[in-house]
Amino acid sequence: MKVAELLEKRRQNWQELERLCEQLQNRRKKNIPAAELSRFASLYRAACADLALADSYQLPSNTIEYLHRLVGRAHNQLYRSRSFDFASWTETLFVHVPQRIFRDACVHVAFFVFWLVFILSAVFAYANSSFPGYAEFLLDDATTTQLETNFADPLNGRDPAADFTMACFYIKHNTGIGLKCFVACIGVVPGLFTLLFNAAHLGACFGYMARPDVEAGRNFFQFVTAHGPFELTAIVLSAGAGLRIGMGWIKTNGLTRLDSLRKTAKETLPVMGAACAMFFFAALIEGFVSPSAAPYWFKASVAVLTSGLLMFYFVVLGFPRGAREL
Amino acid sequence: MPADSIQIDSTVKIVTPENIAFRYQLAGPFRRFPAYLIDVAILLTAYVILWCVLMMVLSAALQGAGAAIGAGVGMVIWFLSTWLYGGVFETFMNGQTPGKRIMGIRVLTVNGQPINGLQAIMRNVFRFADTFPLISIQFFAELFPADAADMPPMFFIPTFLVGLFTMTLSKRFQRLGDLVCGTIVVIEERNWLAGIAKLDDPRAPQLASFLPGDFVVPQSMGRALATYVDRRRFFSLARRREVARHLGEPLIELFKLPSDTSHDLLLCALYYRTFVTDRLEEDSPRPVPPPVSNPYDPDKNGTVAGVNYASPLGRG
Repeated sequence: MKVAELLEKRRQNWQELERLCEQLQNRRKKNIPAAELSRFASLYRAACADLALADSYQLPSNTIEYLHRLVGRAHNQLYRSRSFDFASWTETLFVHVPQRIFRDACVHVAFFVFWLVFILSAVFAYANSSFPGYAEFLLDDATTTQLETNFADPLNGRDPAADFTMACFYIKHNTGIGLKCFVACIGVVPGLFTLLFNAAHLGACFGYMARPDVEAGRNFFQFVTAHGPFELTAIVLSAGAGLRIGMGWIKTNGLTRLDSLRKTAKETLPVMGAACAMFFFAALIEGFVSPSAAPYWFKASVAVLTSGLLMFYFVVLGFPRGAREL
Repeated sequence: MPADSIQIDSTVKIVTPENIAFRYQLAGPFRRFPAYLIDVAILLTAYVILWCVLMMVLSAALQGAGAAIGAGVGMVIWFLSTWLYGGVFETFMNGQTPGKRIMGIRVLTVNGQPINGLQAIMRNVFRFADTFPLISIQFFAELFPADAADMPPMFFIPTFLVGLFTMTLSKRFQRLGDLVCGTIVVIEERNWLAGIAKLDDPRAPQLASFLPGDFVVPQSMGRALATYVDRRRFFSLARRREVARHLGEPLIELFKLPSDTSHDLLLCALYYRTFVTDRLEEDSPRPVPPPVSNPYDPDKNGTVAGVNYASPLGRG
């Protein structure tokens, strides 16, 4: 059979397949009758066979090119993206993620680096007589003035609408920062830098505000107590997860660098999800509880409660179980 | 098609479950960046519209508090949409965002399979790493020195250099986010079925009947013929001669045709016999006497594509 005749025979099939591709792309899948779907499958198989035999048919090259495109399009309509597997999320979030965090050396490193630097920086900034000028060196005048003016007035509550706005702002702002920190950690150095800088900066703020001669300090601690546990943990967690990804292509465990990077990224994204959830809760507390006029014991008990929850999550859920080796 | 083990084109080969290998053309930065810009434009437009509607409805309903609540909701939506826009669309639109669909590209895994939700989210979250290095407004300080000097440095202008750099290093035009989740972006367009090249010259079938019947065109020659006849209408006469000579000369010797046979016409005839039909249609018009004309006449050459104005069996 000559190519011209063959093409004439096949042309209708191919054009029908094109039409069906178009339909599958634009219409909802449920609205397409089963007969058409099975017709699509058989047309796709036929087109595949034509492509496979193109050489022995001696099809001209532009027709082969056309067939490649056609089979590609049909392939993409036949094998479709899988959406989220919501059912497995609970298990991931409450079983796999805590255990991963508990074992993950990068999270440990991030944890110790952050808190060590934080506490040291706070001490340096607090003890103005022993380390003169430290706080002023790290926090420029604008920052200290802003801190003092922001917390000059005692917290006696805002109106609820403003609370809501601020909670939303914290969700957007802090979670965004967390995500950016996580992504930036893919090159280890920027991640470590961000972590160290945040730790030193925050520590200096805390130390500075704790000085007895800073009037606004009392209000400051009233404000930060409630949401502190969630927020600081989330910062540590996103840095830890980011460092893990960064280590993925440095320490490969025998995989190629790219495969190792891919593997760690897949494993750490749920950890980042947990960090995002923490940022979210922290933002809610920061928006509604922290600025309220509630007495300090209430805010402190919120902090104790959230710390307890975090402990439960990391230690009880995360304690390695022999039976469940990941 | 040749089984190319070394990739020299921007194509990837995919083997389907049906055990068929087919090729995809990879999308490079100059197709993907416009798609991204379109997506950003869509996102911004939708956001502005939503913001206005939200503000109007909430302020009308709740008076003073409405604006504050609207601002809050707007910020959360902004956060969610910037980080999740691409991921959600690529999950539910089968690897495409609106911008990608307009530009005719689609995200697949490196094996040519569809991506899953996690990959879609991940490659879009990691886009932030691809926008590095971020530069500050001070970078353009020379353009407007007065404003920039007293602003604090804020690094927020993306340069996408990391993404571009990774793309050039990767064989498959993958940016960092693509590398991390093992995805590629391919061009998915329909192209028109061109089919058999039309031979307007009635002398090609004529000449085809003079070719020896037992001559079987080998596969590689068939490919060359098909490519040549497809392309020849874009060539000038001189170029046709130049290209056709390489195959025409040995064929003329082989078929023992008159040595002044047009090479171009010979290839067309061989193409006709190989791809269209063996038989010479009986009702086809007899060859008309050759128009006495200049073969280089640009008018005539331009009017009828694919017709060689050389005399039927001669080079004019």
